Amino acid sequence: MDSLPLHFCQWLAASWVGTSIRESDNLFSVIETAHVLGIVVTAGLIAIVDLRLLGILLSGSPASDVIRPLVKLTWCGFTWMLASGFLLFWSEADRLYANPVFRAKLVLLVILGLNQLVFHRTAYRRIAEWDLNPTAPRTARLTAGLSLVGWLAVIALGRAIAYL
Amino acid sequence: MSLLPACEWLAHSWLGVSLRQSSWAFALIEMVHLASLALLGGCLLVAALRVFGWALTARGIAAIARGLAPLAAVSLLMLIASGLLLFADGPLRYYANGAFRTKLLLFAAALAGAVVTRRLAQLTPPAAAASMRLKTSAALTLALWLGVGIAGRVIGVL
Repeated sequence: MDSLPLHFCQWLAASWVGTSIRESDNLFSVIETAHVLGIVVTAGLIAIVDLRLLGILLSGSPASDVIRPLVKLTWCGFTWMLASGFLLFWSEADRLYANPVFRAKLVLLVILGLNQLVFHRTAYRRIAEWDLNPTAPRTARLTAGLSLVGWLAVIALGRAIAYL
Repeated sequence: MSLLPACEWLAHSWLGVSLRQSSWAFALIEMVHLASLALLGGCLLVAALRVFGWALTARGIAAIARGLAPLAAVSLLMLIASGLLLFADGPLRYYANGAFRTKLLLFAAALAGAVVTRRLAQLTPPAAAASMRLKTSAALTLALWLGVGIAGRVIGVL
């Protein structure tokens, strides 16, 4: 039934953790700051990789030299963003459940994940063939463009949640 | 000299009044501010990683600094422009805000740090590792930018 997730969200918000975050003077803001920091690391590093694939930035560096060393840190930023985001959600789960902007943001994150998967399963497999080219093959440019626009939209939607 | 009269003028100017009257302008400018922050943050982080020899090591420090410069400059200009517009929404509110003053001071220090780090990076020979001075400057600058970001968040809480 559709109401099961809603009940779960109401239970989350009413739980001890949810209530503590909501009722604390500063906790929500502190977690929010951590969340923004996670987004800066994640979206910032992803944008640099995307711009390299598009041939706009660092085109003199091999693509693999830009992508590989940043993967781990990007995952760290993403995990940090997800964990802090979940704490924020925990405190407002009942209200966010029905928030269309929040839902759109989650859907977009899933799409961006799949987009990343497509890149890793296609062009990235043959990176040795185009590593030194200033621009990546068409599929990689397509996924990079989508990723760049998508992450900017994630930031915009995230900010919009606070206003709705 | 006090900047209060200038803030009062801005608050009553066409720009200040229009921003306050619009219901979506502030949110929209905030989005641009945050997106630019992510782009600049990415540049600073990658630059620091290269200085410490942890990423993008195929090319020298000076080449990476040069390669990141366009995005860093564009995102910094977008940050300043959107920041000025956010300020114009309530100059008198920010004038008295301690976190805002702290942020401006940290911003000036971070900018100076970035200029010094960039200069030291440019002077590094192609195949050389970073000098201790460059590493210190890069780490300190990154910490200052983190401070700017945190102070920025505190503005909204005070």
